[in-house]
Amino acid sequence: MTATEHEGLGSPRWGGFDPARTRGRGWIDLRRTFAVATRLGWQMEANWTDPILFFIYSVAKPLASALILVVMLDVISGGAKPEYRAFVVVGSALWAFVLSGVSGLAWTILDDRERYRMLKYVYVSPSEFLAVLLGRGVARIGVGAVGAAITLVVGVVILGVPFDPARIDWPLLVPVLALGLAAVLAIGLMLASICLQTRQESWSYPEAAAGALFLVSGVVFPLAVLPGPVQALSLVTPMTWWVEGVRRALFPGGITAVGGPGALFTQLTGLAGPTPAQIVGALLVTGAVATLAAVVAFRTSDRRAKDRGLLDQTTGS
Amino acid sequence: MSAGRPAVPGRNAFVYRPTASPQAAAQWTRRQVVMTNLRTVAGRAYPRVTGLFREKSWVFFEILLPFLSTSAFVFVYRALQAPPQYIGFVVLGGAMTAFWLNVIWMMAQQLWWEKSQGNLELYFAAPMNIMAVLFGMAFGGFVMSSTRATAVLIISTAIYGVTFSIDQWALLIGVFFLTLAALYGLGMLLASLFLMWGREAWHLTQLLVEPVYFVSGLNFPIARLGVLGSVAISILPLAVGLDAMRQLAFAGAAYPIGTPSPLIEAAILVVMVVVFLVLSRWALAMLERLARKEGRLSVRWQ
Repeated sequence: MTATEHEGLGSPRWGGFDPARTRGRGWIDLRRTFAVATRLGWQMEANWTDPILFFIYSVAKPLASALILVVMLDVISGGAKPEYRAFVVVGSALWAFVLSGVSGLAWTILDDRERYRMLKYVYVSPSEFLAVLLGRGVARIGVGAVGAAITLVVGVVILGVPFDPARIDWPLLVPVLALGLAAVLAIGLMLASICLQTRQESWSYPEAAAGALFLVSGVVFPLAVLPGPVQALSLVTPMTWWVEGVRRALFPGGITAVGGPGALFTQLTGLAGPTPAQIVGALLVTGAVATLAAVVAFRTSDRRAKDRGLLDQTTGS
Repeated sequence: MSAGRPAVPGRNAFVYRPTASPQAAAQWTRRQVVMTNLRTVAGRAYPRVTGLFREKSWVFFEILLPFLSTSAFVFVYRALQAPPQYIGFVVLGGAMTAFWLNVIWMMAQQLWWEKSQGNLELYFAAPMNIMAVLFGMAFGGFVMSSTRATAVLIISTAIYGVTFSIDQWALLIGVFFLTLAALYGLGMLLASLFLMWGREAWHLTQLLVEPVYFVSGLNFPIARLGVLGSVAISILPLAVGLDAMRQLAFAGAAYPIGTPSPLIEAAILVVMVVVFLVLSRWALAMLERLARKEGRLSVRWQ
């Protein structure tokens, strides 16, 4: 038997200290932590009820959001703008995905610290804390993705949104989805960093933050109606490019949120709307900046939480 | 009590008084009961009111961001070139969401939350009425939400140039407070029900946001929903209160017909207040009975 061999969790047979145990197994440990956290997150999300109720729960939120906008549209235009109906249905369906991603990570912190009071134990376990957070967040994103997909189906089948599967722009859709997922997780990580510092009332913070992003991301109205400075802010937000990219890939030729008469983008570039390459490029750049900012915010918050003993501090009101 | 003054029973409800037996000590005067319950209300409201001033990030997340969220719907109407009163409808709806969110997050869920934290058994063991705890939560929540609602209303009105046209101030104020009473009454009822439903309550809370916004006509006149709107008016305080307030706050504006007059809607709210309070009292009594019988008050996270 070599020096590093051991039995179970006991000391190595040769009786000394095995430093490899404190180092862990690198990538393998990370992958395992992420997988376990994802499975745990999914079970926490899904095993509280039967599949039918879970399905209704997953779909009701995004569908109701879409219906609010559809009724608003019909109240004013009387159904005279079918292309705008597609615009708002797709936007609100996609936003369900963003909302679940943004809130998933933050709620993991609040769940484990305030409700289950397990955060300190998870934190001191050998698992990489960031991998745990991301795994739990991905599980919630999965629920949001199901809701978004079904809302789109309802939009097409019941609300009459024109959709042709043969026209899907796959070369645009695939990279945009991948980059968008990373950007959503980055924003979620930023909110998790904030919730690590705040009190129990932070439950509503992710929704509030998502509501603010909703305003500047061209989700349910073209950015041209916003004031110029706000449009500039919109153009540096990754969600703007993600929503635009997915909308363009699924519904080629539809209304663009970024360009058009009066839009800052059109004034700057002279184009009626962004090209697919511009969308991917902009999403890549803004997503990278958001990811870097999220990592910095998380590391800073992590250090401050350890320093001030916030990991096991529960609050209540 | 000042030094030297003899301990007279009844002078101060909480002064120790010698009694013949533990049974006699447990026989409280009416004043002691009332004072204890009033202190319970104040004590339960205290952390919510004080919390306003202790968490600075609250200003940003609870006032600025909800304002931006409301703004998104204002811009939807602007993109559609809607008549100006619709902007006002959205602003009023945005302000009222503060109360609804408070009711479902911090009233309906609260007893279940207290159970998860291990406080609920202490509540039941303490010599006070649990209704007083719920009233305290409601009052504290009302103060918290009022600041957010007022801020959203004032900022949005100023920025988006909303013009109110109010003929019946007294009725509007009355409808507003009746709406709040009915909302918090519903929250008190849901608090007991959610406690019985356990983990499902957490998810149900989330289910009660957007779908309720939709059927309450948060951003559009509820008359547009037809039968669904009528049903909502008869069971949801947010729906009926918001509709009445819109009719009263935009008296001169063209408004889709199909909903009752504000006076009738005020009467509906009165009925709701009574029904929800009675039901919440009944639900609490049933809950307490079940809790003692099945001993589930201290079982957490279920």
